[in-house]
Amino acid sequence: METIRLCPSCKKPLAPNAPKGLCPECLMKGAFPSQADPGASGPPPRWTPPALDQLQPHFPELEILELLGAGGMGAVYKALQKKLDRAVALKILPLETARDPAFAERFAREAKALARLNHPNIVAVYDFGQSGPYYYFIMEFVEGTNLRGLIQDKSLEPRQALELVIQICTALQFAHDERIVHRDIKPENILISKKGQVKIADFGLAKLMGPRPDSGLTASQMMMGTLNYMAPEQRENSKNVDHRADIYSLGVVFYEMLTGQVPMGRFDPPSKKVQVDVRLDEVVLRALEREPERRYQQASQIRSNVETIAGTAGKSEPKSPAAGNPRAPVIYAKKKTRSEFLGIGAVVSATGFALVLIPHWWPLGIILMLIGGRMSLVLVCSNCAKRITRDAELCPHCAARFQEAPGGM
Amino acid sequence: MTSGAKSDKGPEDFPATRWSLVLKAGKNDTTRAQAALSSLCQTYWFPLYAHARRRRYNPHDAEDLTQEFFARLLERHALAWADPERGRFRSFLLAAMNNFLATEWEKARAQKRGAGRQVLSLDLAAAEERFDLEPADDATPDKAFDKQWALALLDEVLNKLESEYQREGKQVLFAALRPTLAGARESQPYAELSASLGMSQSAVKVAVHRLRRRCRDMVRQEIAHTVASPGEIDSEMRHLFAALAGS
Repeated sequence: METIRLCPSCKKPLAPNAPKGLCPECLMKGAFPSQADPGASGPPPRWTPPALDQLQPHFPELEILELLGAGGMGAVYKALQKKLDRAVALKILPLETARDPAFAERFAREAKALARLNHPNIVAVYDFGQSGPYYYFIMEFVEGTNLRGLIQDKSLEPRQALELVIQICTALQFAHDERIVHRDIKPENILISKKGQVKIADFGLAKLMGPRPDSGLTASQMMMGTLNYMAPEQRENSKNVDHRADIYSLGVVFYEMLTGQVPMGRFDPPSKKVQVDVRLDEVVLRALEREPERRYQQASQIRSNVETIAGTAGKSEPKSPAAGNPRAPVIYAKKKTRSEFLGIGAVVSATGFALVLIPHWWPLGIILMLIGGRMSLVLVCSNCAKRITRDAELCPHCAARFQEAPGGM
Repeated sequence: MTSGAKSDKGPEDFPATRWSLVLKAGKNDTTRAQAALSSLCQTYWFPLYAHARRRRYNPHDAEDLTQEFFARLLERHALAWADPERGRFRSFLLAAMNNFLATEWEKARAQKRGAGRQVLSLDLAAAEERFDLEPADDATPDKAFDKQWALALLDEVLNKLESEYQREGKQVLFAALRPTLAGARESQPYAELSASLGMSQSAVKVAVHRLRRRCRDMVRQEIAHTVASPGEIDSEMRHLFAALAGS
């Protein structure tokens, strides 16, 4: 069997014609002048996120807790909004963006547009402005993980992928109806709360930050290699893209969720790579059409198709205890090995907890938690997500009726 | 040649990079322009061979026509081949090749008897082997050409870089640090390199930084040799990057 070597940087397979065995994309990427040399002792990286105590004086109403992440698009911190006693995310834009005189106006315009995006699947913007030298957004803090984490953990089952895609489509359609295009849809920007709710982050920021003056790509896109998710028309000319570029990116993400890989060159349809409903092939491929006109024109169309496929998939599964009434909350508990626990969507966080996604539409109310590294089966009503005892017939909280799974415990 | 500097000089002042030299010489084929063109063809002949093969010419024919194409190109007044897009050597070469295939090649083939002309020393024997390594790709021939072009450029840069280090007696260093050109940290932890090279970690960092910098400069320089003005370097680089990414 031929082993396929991967580039240690971008993890893509190395073709046999790679120059001197090095990944050509990574080589070329290194030649871009804006790329900061990681680990170089030469000139310092272009922008270091401010330290907590450097930032704190500019935000007296917040208590800045920790740096969550930083990239070309800025830095995000977890903070406590003291008055409301709630956790928020504070996003600081790199200082160099602030030097552009036209920026302030664009920033205000963009922030107002983002404020219209009031939707459960879109990270909410609470406030924005300029404080001291920093442009900032105060946003909803999402406790959970992002899609990149799930893909890397290989813990996404097709059913969950469908559920997530449905939520992503809902968010996209909402934004597109408001005439806002995300332009940078990728797994890193798709957050997933502990409750399994999708929250899309960084809407409009790609447009706000603007392309770098000497290229059509933003700093983040060039450095993060998000060209993978970018629609062909956006790569060629980023000025005239419309909402259908988001649809292409969604196609890439969808493919990656199902197969674990980004579609490249002549790629196999998902059903050839993994065990998924063959009807999904058409959905994914149509989203990935090179010509915008040939793609889905609306995210809502993708959503209906996926819902149809997901709905009928449930009926054909022999073991579904909720056959006949897919929406009935059930207890369905079965002994599983640890890997099977993890297989239905547990995300192991740094503290060792396994948090499990609760897909809302899923008729089966399996909620399993690993607490302190030890397995413990916790039964939860799939309707209201509150704990129940095994022999309950009705949920004490929301009065949903339970039915036992065939085969029982 | 400065790398990446935004110059407000016009094309006439553009330092002598090969394609700009050729364009400037135009119909007056000076020796320098000839040498420059020759050098360019020497670097980028494989993408043309691959293009011919992708267009379903068999290896033997692809060999012949590649040689014949270059022979004609390097003849005097070859630049009179009408092609509006002469800004970049890459586009020019592809257009000229397609034109050649459409018009001249059939005629030449009919007339040819015996050995064709050989103006460049091309390792055509190895070319077919190299072509065989190409992964199957459903990209259009033109997109495939651009990708091939980018690979040829990177190959050329890596070769030149290696020679440079060899001349300075640093071949061991180059061999050890080469993987960092495709992403520093992940491929080679500095601790390992430091141990195997007998250098301090900070010295390794400096060496890596220098190597990457030099490679970056050379990529830009190589691209500069194929465009008409410095303003085009960035856009050509983006184009090649997109081609490699499989767009």
